[in-house]
Amino acid sequence: MDHSDLEARNVTYRRFVELGRSPTADEVGAAIGADTKWVRASWRRLHDAHALVLDGNGDIRMANPFSAVPTAYRVDAAGRPWFANCAWDAFGIAVVLGRDAVIHTECPDCAEPIDLSVRDRKPVDTSLVFHVLVPAAEWWADIGYT
Amino acid sequence: MLLFRSEDHVQAWLQGRDPGATIPIAKLAELAEAWWGDRLAPDWQPHTREQNQAILDRLGLTGLFWRLG
Repeated sequence: MDHSDLEARNVTYRRFVELGRSPTADEVGAAIGADTKWVRASWRRLHDAHALVLDGNGDIRMANPFSAVPTAYRVDAAGRPWFANCAWDAFGIAVVLGRDAVIHTECPDCAEPIDLSVRDRKPVDTSLVFHVLVPAAEWWADIGYT
Repeated sequence: MLLFRSEDHVQAWLQGRDPGATIPIAKLAELAEAWWGDRLAPDWQPHTREQNQAILDRLGLTGLFWRLG
């Protein structure tokens, strides 16, 4: 990953947090003085390096732990709703933002709502459990499913 | 990578499928902090496989299931 791709990656993440949504290639290009075509090519290289995840149109789908689209894991933090790609990422959003948060989801078994407060990066309710179905060696085989 | 109310709910949800790994939510919070803590750092560099494996190992997430590809 060369320096220019790292810069594109860092600006993409920074703008995601500033905007509360995924930035467009135009917005990232404007921030780093590059044209849209170059940003899209850079994003593709970053996608191939697992530094972010693109959707079928070449737009940002995941800037992990953030999701660009609504998911089953909503995180309220820093006065905004965010979406995480999974439970791990939901905690990750609190970590990345450096803020307390409330994770909203539901138990996949019984559909009971779960509203979990995270304070100082720790869960207030420690009775919950986290389950990973896919072995670590296969996480990136289908990151959307993982 | 899902959050459940309890281990019993994981077992019910699996409906006989082979389980993956279940860890306490407090352990997940530790994992998230170690894994994501540097994402907005101006000098961020991609984690190597070895760095990520070391995070898992340090938290006791060991064995074949937690072995990164």
